[in-house]
Amino acid sequence: MQNLVTNAVQQASQNPPGSPIYANNVTVWNHMSDALHQSLYRVLTLLIAVLPGILAFFVALVIFAVAGVVISWILRHFLTWAKFDLRLARKSGTDWTPTTSPTEIVARVSFWACVLLGLIIGVSAFDTSYATGTALPITLLPYFTHAVGAALLLAAGILIARFLARSVLISAVNAQLQYARFLSLGVKWLVLVLTAAMVLDHLEVGGNIVELAFGILFGGIVLTLSLAVGLGSRELVSRSIESHVKLTGERTPIPEETSGTVRSIRHF
Amino acid sequence: MATANPIPDETAVAERATADLVVFVTAMPAEQFKGVLDNLEATFPANNVIVATRNELPADAPRNLRIDLMPPSNSFWMLQPADFTSAAQCGLEHEAKAILILGPGADSLSTPALRSLADAVLTAPIDLVVPHYSLAPHAGLINSAILYPLTRAVFASSARFPLPIDLGMTPRMAERLAATAQRISANNQGEAILWPVNEAIAAGFRMDEVDAGSRTVPQPSDAEINSVFALITGSLFADIEAKAALWQRPRRAALIRRTATEVALSDGTADVARMVAAFRLATANLQEIWPLVLPPNSLLMLKRCSVLEPAEFRLPDNLWARIVYDFLIAYRLRTINRGHLLGALIPLYLAWIASYINVVASGTPAERQIESVAAAFEADKPYLVARWRWPDRFNS
Repeated sequence: MQNLVTNAVQQASQNPPGSPIYANNVTVWNHMSDALHQSLYRVLTLLIAVLPGILAFFVALVIFAVAGVVISWILRHFLTWAKFDLRLARKSGTDWTPTTSPTEIVARVSFWACVLLGLIIGVSAFDTSYATGTALPITLLPYFTHAVGAALLLAAGILIARFLARSVLISAVNAQLQYARFLSLGVKWLVLVLTAAMVLDHLEVGGNIVELAFGILFGGIVLTLSLAVGLGSRELVSRSIESHVKLTGERTPIPEETSGTVRSIRHF
Repeated sequence: MATANPIPDETAVAERATADLVVFVTAMPAEQFKGVLDNLEATFPANNVIVATRNELPADAPRNLRIDLMPPSNSFWMLQPADFTSAAQCGLEHEAKAILILGPGADSLSTPALRSLADAVLTAPIDLVVPHYSLAPHAGLINSAILYPLTRAVFASSARFPLPIDLGMTPRMAERLAATAQRISANNQGEAILWPVNEAIAAGFRMDEVDAGSRTVPQPSDAEINSVFALITGSLFADIEAKAALWQRPRRAALIRRTATEVALSDGTADVARMVAAFRLATANLQEIWPLVLPPNSLLMLKRCSVLEPAEFRLPDNLWARIVYDFLIAYRLRTINRGHLLGALIPLYLAWIASYINVVASGTPAERQIESVAAAFEADKPYLVARWRWPDRFNS
């Protein structure tokens, strides 16, 4: 490399200005061009290797989806003709009354089974073609699979957050806690923050910053909730202990809604 | 199945004996069981009744009763599906013409009540007899608010207590209930409740109600309203869902005979203010859940109710009926998690209790008020049927 540079400098001093620079008949432009050609070749080779797989994936999915539509259509008409819903209702008594009719369920299941089969076959074809190109330096596809995993994590986290928030809200309202909504909101954000941290960690984004930020946020929310619940529910705890002491030893414990001269009510 | 009797020479006879009446006594504390045996001995002639039980025989048990001892089980506060299976089995073994099931706390049942339950099945062509207890106005409130009005409107049943703790039945009714109980057990629904009245109506059997006077109603060990309310109301909603094909057909309500005397109010006033406060808290906090279940009209009316003073608090009967129907529809459609749904109904139920107590305190007889609620449920049944069939016609 040093010789190459020295020769180039010497030739530059000998040649008049404006003429091209040569080093052992190889120009910098040629090097760059070679590099670009090689890179393009590698990417094209990868695409040529992967493209049939992608095509196979979509073809399999479309073929099986169409097959699913046809099969579900045939099943729906056949089961309707055979009065499947009526026969099933007679056989199983009246215990099972789904919102959707059994015929519709069977038709839908058959359709989605076909779609799932197409998906599996397509992914299998894609996987085979991708395996031939794994020697090539590409990180997009693994990152894509991570992104799908992260999206699933996010969806699950949002669902769990909503479920827990509702559970806490209803329980807190029925326990007559004045800060029910605040508590519910706290639990919701606790789960959402946890989910966000997991998603970012899964995507390998942020590194230590995410862990640190998550720790601070999570700890902060927990501390806030602890203080709120601890300070706000003293009366509830004392009431609960009081009613427990009253109930102990009675032959048929009756739910005490009230105390003192106030008449108790019996729900059952 | 072992048969025991304090009189040794009669024990062998009881092993394969037949009797017109088999009384199945569920598991209960020993002192209650002793009281039940005493009452049974005083009510029925000894040669015509066999008592089957899962309780241990007390040392001072009546000597004249033939007792069929079954494997012991844990005591529960209401009848369990296994009780119906055992009762049917006993009735079949002893070729009984009538079967009585007596639940926990049956020692407080009077002898005339026991006699009425048995006679109704033995002397009349009736398959199921349920008692009509005379309870205090502030007792059995889930029954008064939801179980009775909903069962009456949906199944056209006149039974004031559709979830009885004691009942009389014929062997064919017992077989029907046992089959249902076995199906429940097979589905591993451990805490499921069997609704005898609904089963009798579904089977097309004849049913009647007899005056049983006052009775100590057993209370659940878990005093929390949340779990009891969700268990009972959820079970009734599930039963209504399972029998949807039956109750959507128009039916004529059976003739209602009401002879039970009303129990006077005791001293003191119920804590209406606290229940209204619970309702107000829910109105402020459940604004993201109630709109998923209730139409705007109901939400607006609830908002208006929430600003009333506790002493003047009223929840109109038609609004309450509409609320229960909308929750039943949401239960069927699984609009939200069913546990959440029933939890969100509790503050509204407390609001109904507050309103009911105020109405009763104003001088209206409790039974008349409950009948008025039931009438509102009946009047609004077309709404339930319409929304059950076409749930999307909503927000009207």
